[in-house]
Amino acid sequence: MSTVEQTPPTPGSGGPPSAPAPRGHGSGAVTGVAWTVLPYVASVVLAFLVGGLLIQAMGYSAVDALEAVLTSSFDSRFGMVETLHKWVPIVLCAYAFAIPLATGKFNIGAEGQLLLGATGGAAIGITFSDLPAVLLLPAMLVAGVLAGALWAGIAAVLLVRFRVNEVLSTVLLNFVSFRLIDWVATSVWPDAGAGHPATTPVGDGARLPLIGEAPGLHSGVLLVLALAVFIAVGMRFTPTGFEMRAVGDNPRASLINGVKTSRLAGAGLVIGGGAAGLAGAIDVAGVQGRMLEGMQSNFLILGIIVGLMARGSMLALPFIAFGIAVLEFGAGTMQLVASVPVEMVLVIEALILLFLLLSDIVRNRLRGAA
Amino acid sequence: MSEFLTLVVPMWVVFTLAAQGTILSGRTGVFNVTQEGVMALGASVGFVVAYKMGSNLGGLLIAFAVGALVGLVLTVMTTQLRLDQFVVGLALFFAATGAAGLLYREVIGVTMTPPKIDTLTKHEIPLLSDIPVIGEPLFRQDYVFFFVVLLSVGLYWFMQRTGAGLNFRSVGENPKAADSLGINVNLARTWSTIVGSGLVAVAGAYFPLHFTGIYTDGMIAGRGWLVIALAFLGGWRPLYVVAGAAFFAGMDVLGQKAQVIGLGVPHQFIEMLPYVATLLVMVFAFRWARQPAHLGSNYDRESRLAG
Repeated sequence: MSTVEQTPPTPGSGGPPSAPAPRGHGSGAVTGVAWTVLPYVASVVLAFLVGGLLIQAMGYSAVDALEAVLTSSFDSRFGMVETLHKWVPIVLCAYAFAIPLATGKFNIGAEGQLLLGATGGAAIGITFSDLPAVLLLPAMLVAGVLAGALWAGIAAVLLVRFRVNEVLSTVLLNFVSFRLIDWVATSVWPDAGAGHPATTPVGDGARLPLIGEAPGLHSGVLLVLALAVFIAVGMRFTPTGFEMRAVGDNPRASLINGVKTSRLAGAGLVIGGGAAGLAGAIDVAGVQGRMLEGMQSNFLILGIIVGLMARGSMLALPFIAFGIAVLEFGAGTMQLVASVPVEMVLVIEALILLFLLLSDIVRNRLRGAA
Repeated sequence: MSEFLTLVVPMWVVFTLAAQGTILSGRTGVFNVTQEGVMALGASVGFVVAYKMGSNLGGLLIAFAVGALVGLVLTVMTTQLRLDQFVVGLALFFAATGAAGLLYREVIGVTMTPPKIDTLTKHEIPLLSDIPVIGEPLFRQDYVFFFVVLLSVGLYWFMQRTGAGLNFRSVGENPKAADSLGINVNLARTWSTIVGSGLVAVAGAYFPLHFTGIYTDGMIAGRGWLVIALAFLGGWRPLYVVAGAAFFAGMDVLGQKAQVIGLGVPHQFIEMLPYVATLLVMVFAFRWARQPAHLGSNYDRESRLAG
């Protein structure tokens, strides 16, 4: 074990899981793409097959259940708007996981960073509720980003200065954040009439403008779309993006070549925290109108699943996140239509991920034989 | 004081049991991160079986079996197929979390008042239980407590005092050297992960079977992650884990009693205590505590890379 990276645990082969380069000798671009896309398709199909068998074994109709999961997002304008509103936090939490992962670090704290971002955004939105939207809205989103980045920054400092394992610190900060926002929602800006720990509503100027006829799509979706392009380009074409990927691929070689690896790893965590914080602020400004307990939903787990499925491709990530958002919206409909518990969808998503991991081995065997 | 200890000891059982399960596989190099999910699954399975069969022992045993099954999947995917341990662990954590809620909802359904089971009966050890202060908390306990004490001593004896234990630990320190000495690396990793994961699930089952009598989602509340911190803090040694678990249990109980204690601070800040204290302790733990050299890395005997 080298002394370069003593922060345990160094998982497996070291570095994030990435798809094996699809450019084998003698295979063109088309087969390259096929080798990349095929495992996804196969994993999804297999996971739905296993999930369907489970549903059938439990005594429900698998066809009704899976149809509800897959199609309800596309059945109505409401379904599509809700799916896109779910897509925003999922994709941002996926960045919160995937950007640090590019440097080989695991951020399991998107939940806490999202809640802090929501709190930061709500704090501005409540305190300065009289300001016009031109000022209030940007200030609120920036506050959310900063709060999320700050929260992840604690883990980054612990990692860089004290070599505390980032998996543990980010996870533990989630549980600290739950108590913190409970305090904010019950003591600082409590809304007694809400019937659930929540802050008072933010000012009208802090609400994202809605697009189209009711139910309106909040404009945070467009903002995140622009951000997705920016991140994909940034990771691919900027020096910082290159260095981050280099550290993830081979921390030792990067260090020897003059990359400040530990500082970059810390920066990755902070940027990831900012992304999750933005998710919180957008959720306040676009959907909830206030900060409330439980608004983190299961975006942490979904973000990690999407981040792992994207396998380092910032380009693929938003599309995968959309797929997961469709499943998540469909889960509620499935429970209504076929009375299958929503947890079934989480099991299916975990299965997709496991099959995707397994597909590497199958692919390598196939290629070895070919 | 005695009252406080009476609350701490059962929580100590949870932390010790789950952490011993974690270090058992960690010592052979398998870094298990499924605890949070496996404990939830253990709680769900333990409750459902105890409720349907009317046997708490049955609940514990089947929880062990289900946890062992998760361990089997983890070990096959990491030792046989050599997939990244952490990533597979995360995926299994998600699957186990989903399965826990799914099982409960499927068997019990959604009810106004959650069904309740009888918690484990306590056994009194004559004479010893009459000792002031420590007698009541330590010698009037259910059988899981006594099992955990024996398990901890047994693990210590096995790992630190026997030749087989030395071989066992060598798998996590230097699998290549262990392999060259004829020690079956994959076998050691497989059984230790299966048994270890089973113990973690039993720790989860202890929640409904000892504390609450009911199952609720999220009842593990991050303790699965605290267990990993405890394993690091204890330097992956059974006896240090026993001592560290007492600290974690004490913090946990203080956090739970936050609203009663008062102290003039908002109770939410006292509830943060277990997590904040753990973060602070980690600063020191990662300075001096040892860990198996090959923790988290898969072994490929055909690899030409050294170590």
